[in-house]
Amino acid sequence: MSAEILPTPFLLAPEGLAFALVRLAWLIPVYGFAGMLLSLPWAAGWIRRNGPRPAAYLNLLVTLLAFVHGSVALVWVWGHGPYDLSLPWLHLLDLQFDWDFRLSRFNLGALELVTGLSFLGQVYALGYLDKEWSLARFFALLGFFEGAMCGVVLSRSLFMSYFLLEMLTLSTYLLVGFWYAQPLVVTAARDAFLTKRVGDVLMLMGIVAVSSWAGSLDFDNLNAWFQDHPLGPVASTLMPLALIAGPTGKCAQFPMHLWLDEAMEGPNPASILRNSVVVTCGAIVLLKLMPIVTISPVAMATLQVIGGISAIGGSLVALAQVDIKRALSYTTTAYLGLVFILISLKLSATALLLLLAHALSKALLTMSIGSVILISNSQDLTELGGFGPRTPATTTAYVAGGLGMTGLLPLGCFWCFGLATHGLASQPWLAAIVLATNTLTVWNLLRQFRHIFLGSPLPKTRRAPEVNWLMAVPMVALTVIVLVSPLLMQRLYPVPGIAAFPTHVTALVAASGGLGVVIGCLQPLRKFMSRSIVKPVRLMQDLLAYDFYTDRVYRFSIVRLVSSLAQAADWMDRVVVSGMANGVGRLSLASAEGLKLGVSGASQTYVLTVVAAVVLLLLVVLGRGG
Amino acid sequence: MTASAPSILSLVLLAPLAGALGLALLPPAGASPVGLRRFSLAVLTVQLLLMVALLFRFDPTTGQMQFLEQAAWLGTLGLDYRLGVDGLSLPLLLINGILSLVAVAISPLSTPRPRSYFALLLLISGAVNGAFLARNLLLFFLFYELELIPLWLLIAIWGGARRAYAATKFLIFTAVSGVLILVGFLGLALATGSLDFSINSDLSQQLGLGTQVLLMGALLVGFGIKIPLFPFHSWLPDAHTEASTPISVLLAGVLLKLGTYGLLRFCLSLFPQAWALVAPGLAGWAAVSVLFGSLAAIAQTDMKRMVAYSSVGHMGYVLLAAAAATPISLLGSLLQMLAHGLISGLMFLLVGVIYQATGTRDLTVLRGLLNPQRGLPLTGGLMILAAMASAGIPGMAGFVAELMVFRGSLLTFPLATLLSMAGSGLTAVYFLLLVNRAFFGRLATEPDGAPPALLPLAGLTKQAPAAVLAAAVVLMGLWPQGLANLAVASTSTLARPTSGPSTTMASANQAATSDFLLEDMAHGG
Repeated sequence: MSAEILPTPFLLAPEGLAFALVRLAWLIPVYGFAGMLLSLPWAAGWIRRNGPRPAAYLNLLVTLLAFVHGSVALVWVWGHGPYDLSLPWLHLLDLQFDWDFRLSRFNLGALELVTGLSFLGQVYALGYLDKEWSLARFFALLGFFEGAMCGVVLSRSLFMSYFLLEMLTLSTYLLVGFWYAQPLVVTAARDAFLTKRVGDVLMLMGIVAVSSWAGSLDFDNLNAWFQDHPLGPVASTLMPLALIAGPTGKCAQFPMHLWLDEAMEGPNPASILRNSVVVTCGAIVLLKLMPIVTISPVAMATLQVIGGISAIGGSLVALAQVDIKRALSYTTTAYLGLVFILISLKLSATALLLLLAHALSKALLTMSIGSVILISNSQDLTELGGFGPRTPATTTAYVAGGLGMTGLLPLGCFWCFGLATHGLASQPWLAAIVLATNTLTVWNLLRQFRHIFLGSPLPKTRRAPEVNWLMAVPMVALTVIVLVSPLLMQRLYPVPGIAAFPTHVTALVAASGGLGVVIGCLQPLRKFMSRSIVKPVRLMQDLLAYDFYTDRVYRFSIVRLVSSLAQAADWMDRVVVSGMANGVGRLSLASAEGLKLGVSGASQTYVLTVVAAVVLLLLVVLGRGG
Repeated sequence: MTASAPSILSLVLLAPLAGALGLALLPPAGASPVGLRRFSLAVLTVQLLLMVALLFRFDPTTGQMQFLEQAAWLGTLGLDYRLGVDGLSLPLLLINGILSLVAVAISPLSTPRPRSYFALLLLISGAVNGAFLARNLLLFFLFYELELIPLWLLIAIWGGARRAYAATKFLIFTAVSGVLILVGFLGLALATGSLDFSINSDLSQQLGLGTQVLLMGALLVGFGIKIPLFPFHSWLPDAHTEASTPISVLLAGVLLKLGTYGLLRFCLSLFPQAWALVAPGLAGWAAVSVLFGSLAAIAQTDMKRMVAYSSVGHMGYVLLAAAAATPISLLGSLLQMLAHGLISGLMFLLVGVIYQATGTRDLTVLRGLLNPQRGLPLTGGLMILAAMASAGIPGMAGFVAELMVFRGSLLTFPLATLLSMAGSGLTAVYFLLLVNRAFFGRLATEPDGAPPALLPLAGLTKQAPAAVLAAAVVLMGLWPQGLANLAVASTSTLARPTSGPSTTMASANQAATSDFLLEDMAHGG
């Protein structure tokens, strides 16, 4: 490791200071958690004076601290190569569970993305949740959220990743349930937690199995071990499948995708992070597991099927939504589906670039949508219109985000789609999925754009002003970042560069985007009667609008199964188990009562019984003696 | 006594018993409940301090019994006064110390007949200490039975509406449990012809395997009733529903652990061969218990019953780990006992707060309690923490314990372990239902449409016991090394010598210098 050849860190020299900060990099996730603890006095209402704003400022400060600390480490690592840190958690017998950090360009880059977007999101939240009286609780939860994410991206062991992914599950539950008094929020929080929990429990099964077989949970050791493992075909297939269940839930992939859409009931600033960096965290864990997962052909095929269904299905379902947040959330599922496909074919660099481009543009789009919702008090596409001229920041943000997320103009995702289509050339149908997703997304975003920003103002939008500066500044800043993102990506991927695909691929990507533009422009938009009256069209529309009725399928399958099993267990408990206990009690009481009736009170009977017993006893004793 | 000064274990044992005696005899007839509670708190604080002193003098490097004390008592019966403590009993002792203190601290001052109430609580605490410290089978049995009587009285006198039914059911079940355990112990003496009632696995080696299994079976069912395992659990939900909050805390947190402790200390270490023989069956039994407890919990609408059924499920993990009997799984089983003690203690405590404030525990009635003005926000926050801890979210006690249990048992009993893990997923279902129903949503309005009644806000001092337990749950989750160090030597000596395949490190811990993704990038994706 390059760290050892350095002289003893000399704190005052810039180099020494940087190295000292590198060695303290384990503090980066701690900042977020500290932010949560610091917010507690306001969140719990112990300090009521002057409102809850100080909690928000403290959290902004720790996020900034994490960002700066991460930047210093990134600069150092860029020059010196990766650096590993390890702090012990639990050592006993032959078990070792540690906090294993790897400070690499990749991990630190992801950290900068997380903390940077978190910072922008928090400034935005200050504006968005201006009058929210439990602002401090929101920021406390965000701190928790951010700490967990920072840990996930920096980790180099499966154990630590799992530990923090679960914390992420918990904090997602609490953030989605932030407005816990609303009925939809209650179900959304429940579904978010339980769906992810199913994935997590399956993943834990895989982790426990891996830990038992391989001993170490370090990603490097695991990869080495998995190259020539002694497992049978069943185990070596089931284990990767169990391991991908966690990321599948976290990235809202089919069949565990419902929660992300429902989670849109939570506050919008949290949605910004959830749709961009949280799903990215799940994908990053999958990326780190890639060498293990892709050894099993079944797991690889599973990833492709999951990814393919999510990409196409998600894009189609998004088209039929009238709720702008939901229309956006399904595109997240779709894009992460593409990432799954790329990971299954070991196109990790392309996957990574796509994650980056997606996270930036999706965060920007969510911010823009959040502004629309705040200034119009509506998130129904059919109630919106004509924002374009009066809300420059919001409109620009939407346009930039939309272009960044699609392959139309040479912004972020254009290059990713090019690389992906080129990389998948050997599997044409997978490449087709990428291009189709592009077309569908362009169509969807354009449809939304026309609904929200074009057309004549409607009652809810007529007097809507542009958002305040607390929301506008982060939005504009992110707009700029999205616009320059190709430069950033080129810097991350210098050899052979982000444009390393032939011209015909460029043409294909641009054409798929252009097709989307054409359909999106030609599609007739109706504010009223947006549900078609032509029966086949309407059936199709409903099928997509209700997400292929997946929630109903679940309600009639898994939910019903568990609840009827629970009822059966309860019935068995009340009737059989308790019934038996009560029966024994009743039997003994009844027999006592019965015996009582047999007591006559006449002394002759007693004497007779005694004599008979004595005689019987004597006979037995004599018989044995003889 | 071997030592001239009374030794520390005797002090730990005698302090609460003397306190109970003092409470029963000393105070004047009209002593105020405040004074009585203070006195009990003082006694239990002394007990806890003694335990902490014991903790500091304890040597965690050896798995043997320490601080041995021995005095002849009824030698002709084989009943000697032998005490000792090891890494298995010390943490359980501490849990008893903490939860007894909590139970007294949360006992309302309006309790009728406070003098006998507090005396009985102290008696339970002392008896449990005795059971954990005893190194003689009969002495253990004595304390095991001694703890029943005050508990029965506490349910039968201070319980809820159906207390007579619940208390009688409790008494009958646990009396049967006691009889079976006595049969096991006496049968061992009878079969081996030795009156040496010490915990000695050599004794059973003289017996045939059939006899061993028979004797161990008696112990197993006896402790199985106490733990409780399906289908002997029927007394527990009733006892919990009728018991008052402090008694529920003690019952779930401490008294059930006597059963699991007995499982490890007596079934496993007295009859290692028989245990190994029936272990696969036990693992299956554990999985059934876990799934049944979890599924039954989902169907409950009374919060106390729900938590009670969750105990049935979570105690199943202990049986699973005990069946596997690897060093890791046995440590896991102890950690699970501790985690369950803390978490279920906390949950019953919080349910008690809700019941006191709203007058109901019915999940079909309660909602919106997280409301900051009219609800119970702090209780809600702690309840979410307890629910998450119980569901095994990392960072809290439940995760560490479950991880050790599953990690230790998977290779020995793969199917049972995987089923139990599914049960841990179900835990999330029912506790999420509890939190969502009782705490989320809007507060119910009064029948006439008036705004909901203002719930009495419990002050910080009143919430202190819950906060302390919650802090302990988090501490154990974040820093399990301390507890593990304390116990690992002892639990490892309990482990079967021929346990499952030992794990090996896959490859040398070579520090990887390459960043595989970067490498991958350099090769063009």
